[in-house]
Amino acid sequence: MSCEATLSPRPIDPVEALRQFSAAAAGAGAVVSFTGLARGMTRDGHRVTALVLESHRSLTLRSMEAIAADAHARFAIAASRVIHREGRIAPGEAIVFVATAAPHRRAAFEAADYLMDRLKSEAVFWKREEGTDGSRWIEPTSGDAADLARWQNAARTDHARN
Amino acid sequence: MAELCPLSVNLYGKLADPCGRGITVSIPSAGCTAGELRSLLAGHDDDLARLLTSTRVLYCINDQIVAESDRVVPGDEVALFPPVSGG
Repeated sequence: MSCEATLSPRPIDPVEALRQFSAAAAGAGAVVSFTGLARGMTRDGHRVTALVLESHRSLTLRSMEAIAADAHARFAIAASRVIHREGRIAPGEAIVFVATAAPHRRAAFEAADYLMDRLKSEAVFWKREEGTDGSRWIEPTSGDAADLARWQNAARTDHARN
Repeated sequence: MAELCPLSVNLYGKLADPCGRGITVSIPSAGCTAGELRSLLAGHDDDLARLLTSTRVLYCINDQIVAESDRVVPGDEVALFPPVSGG
């Protein structure tokens, strides 16, 4: 089982990351990948010049590894890959790359979805948007909390069934 | 009067807005609690004091998240986090 998480201060190449992951996952029945890109506009319609992700030297990677380990414990996946940018990110650049491999597609899809929902609200980052209207810190939205709650509710349902 | 020692504290995210990322405070040589350290930092600057009051702060000592009642001693690596943004 392969479970690898990386924090990258340099731009991510999602195409190359997927090529490498797929080559290593040869024989799996399903590979799913997701790439999150820095948006060029704020929610209020102002132009974003950069997204800045501040990280902690050990806790950030540790949080990513813990989330990935949880995905492996929860879903029947054979491999996962998480690459997350840190530092200053230009609009259009990849912020995060997630890939999963599994014998069957459902587990691969669900594990990738789960990884992203957890990373979006729990990974140890402090995120600042710099734009034409100034700079502001970003905290998880109610939408992010709702996305995360889907898995907590699902876990309760699973537990009730067993 | 207890002997005092300097302690460097790293502030993350919005906590660094008023005074920058690094602040040095004086703590008793025998140490203090993380909560007492927060009060010392609040005495450093009014804007930081307001932020520390209105924010749910996490204490990180030597790369571990600890409780407000846990002790900080000179030589520890101390960081204060606001709530994380996620990725």
